[in-house]
Amino acid sequence: MEKPIQDLSALRHAVIEGDVPASVTAARTALEEGVQPIDVISQGISPAMAEVGKLFEEGEYFVPELLMAARATKEIFVILRPLLAQAGSKPMAHVVLGTVQGDLHDIGKNLVAAMLEGGGFEVTDLGVDVPPETFIAAVKKRPVQIVGLSALLTTTMPAMKTTIEAFRAAGIREQIKIMVGGAPVTSKYAETIGADGYSETAAASVDLARRLVAAC
Amino acid sequence: MSEELSSTVAQNGLIAAALAAEICPELALAPLAPAEIYRYLGYLLKGSPAPPMAERIAQVVAEAQLCLRPRGAYAVYPVSRRTAHSLKLGDTTISGNIGEYLKDADRVAVFAVTAGEEISLLSESAAKNGDAFSALVMDAVGSWAAEAAADALMLSVRRHLRDEEELTLRYSPGYCGMEISQQRKLFPLMQAEAVGVRLIPSMLMHPLKSISGLVGLAPKEAVSSYHSPCDLCPRTGCSMRR
Ligand code: B12
Repeated sequence: MEKPIQDLSALRHAVIEGDVPASVTAARTALEEGVQPIDVISQGISPAMAEVGKLFEEGEYFVPELLMAARATKEIFVILRPLLAQAGSKPMAHVVLGTVQGDLHDIGKNLVAAMLEGGGFEVTDLGVDVPPETFIAAVKKRPVQIVGLSALLTTTMPAMKTTIEAFRAAGIREQIKIMVGGAPVTSKYAETIGADGYSETAAASVDLARRLVAAC
Repeated sequence: MSEELSSTVAQNGLIAAALAAEICPELALAPLAPAEIYRYLGYLLKGSPAPPMAERIAQVVAEAQLCLRPRGAYAVYPVSRRTAHSLKLGDTTISGNIGEYLKDADRVAVFAVTAGEEISLLSESAAKNGDAFSALVMDAVGSWAAEAAADALMLSVRRHLRDEEELTLRYSPGYCGMEISQQRKLFPLMQAEAVGVRLIPSMLMHPLKSISGLVGLAPKEAVSSYHSPCDLCPRTGCSMRR
């Protein structure tokens, strides 16, 4: 029994409003009523997040609203993930994130993590002051498609380069895509150090990650 | 704390060249206006969030404010030499456009302030629990508090002003054509460690919510003509632009 699309309007509304409990309830109800998990994504989450993105670009929404919506979708993905696995769909891409060695700054990376989780990615957050070996160990431990590096100051940016070089030395640079970001980082710098992508904001990091995965 | 303080003084003769030095273990911050936090959260075009969001933010702000431990230290030095690209305090030459910006000051205060480590730990634990929203608001409170602590410390520095003098704008390493590497020269000039602010090899300060810098004591007429430091910065889209 397929549910018609408009029945997911409650879910879309709840996500757009950043109402976490209402989003989860709406998703559960839809699934109980026989909506396929994949349709919850394509007819519910995706159009809702597209609308949220549009409101952000129009200056109607700001980062706090984005985060609440991302939190709502993240919670829905928690319900969907095992169902999707059962149905044999390909698991979502896995991103490893961290702030590079010598840098203690947290919040930019946290926002990226939250937005990626809201975008359906699985995220492993290695925290701050992460040495290259820890990034490498994380990639060797489990399949990883993307590694994201964050830095706050021009003095800690060079650790991004060191980390990328360490991946190369370990012979696993080609297995992953590397994206970088943080206040002093530019797309030019990203290119210079041999990263695969840069985004200025956490909101844009989701599209960037999708493009990088598609190129995997 | 006194132990740390005396070791700083002993290791470094420069602080002896200071005209005055003070450690402020408890700075009183100005009241926090919600609009300040909205600015840190990026509500730049709109000014403020819709009422339900404003309410959510206010709750987190109230919790976060309990975790602020604002404190700071400063030392005032006579300027012994200056060029457009350098400033000499005692035996230490600080390089950067700072020489130009502080050209009218015959004394300069070197300072460091912090909002404390607690606020960053609070934000971190919220993030670990998957609550990036609260983490963001707590982080914004910490950033606000670091700035507010610098403002509060300036009230103490003001006591060293003479008649017809005023404080210049504050300048920090990493801004305004002064490289962050200058942190290494700044730190021995004051007792920052006594208030728990330390410089790590990457030139970052611990705690994260800390600010270091210089401020000039200059004739009033010279100061009133100063512009916003943001006029010197190329980041025109920055939400913090003043
Ligand atoms: C608020 C702020 C502060 C606050 C809080 C600091 C903090 N971050 O906790 C306070 C007032 C304490 C402060 C202090 C200092 N600051 Co300050 N600060 C800023 C400011 C205005 C915003 C930084 C911020 O928190 N933004 C919000 C977060 C969410 O943004 P973000 O971390 O950049 O992350 C976003 C993106 O970069 C991206 N992103 C981040 N990581 C990643 C990773 C990946 C993989 C991807 C794809 C994307 C991505 O997504 C995030 C969300 O959109 C910036 C200027 C600016 N507009 O960026 C200067 C800035 C970072 N500060 C700067 C400096 C110099 C300092 C000080 C050294 C000054 C001093 N001498 O005291 C100190 C250092 C503090 C320390 N502990 O050592 C400089 C650094 C310049 C440089 N040469 O490196 C900047 C860039 C300002 C400038 N001059 O242009 N600062």
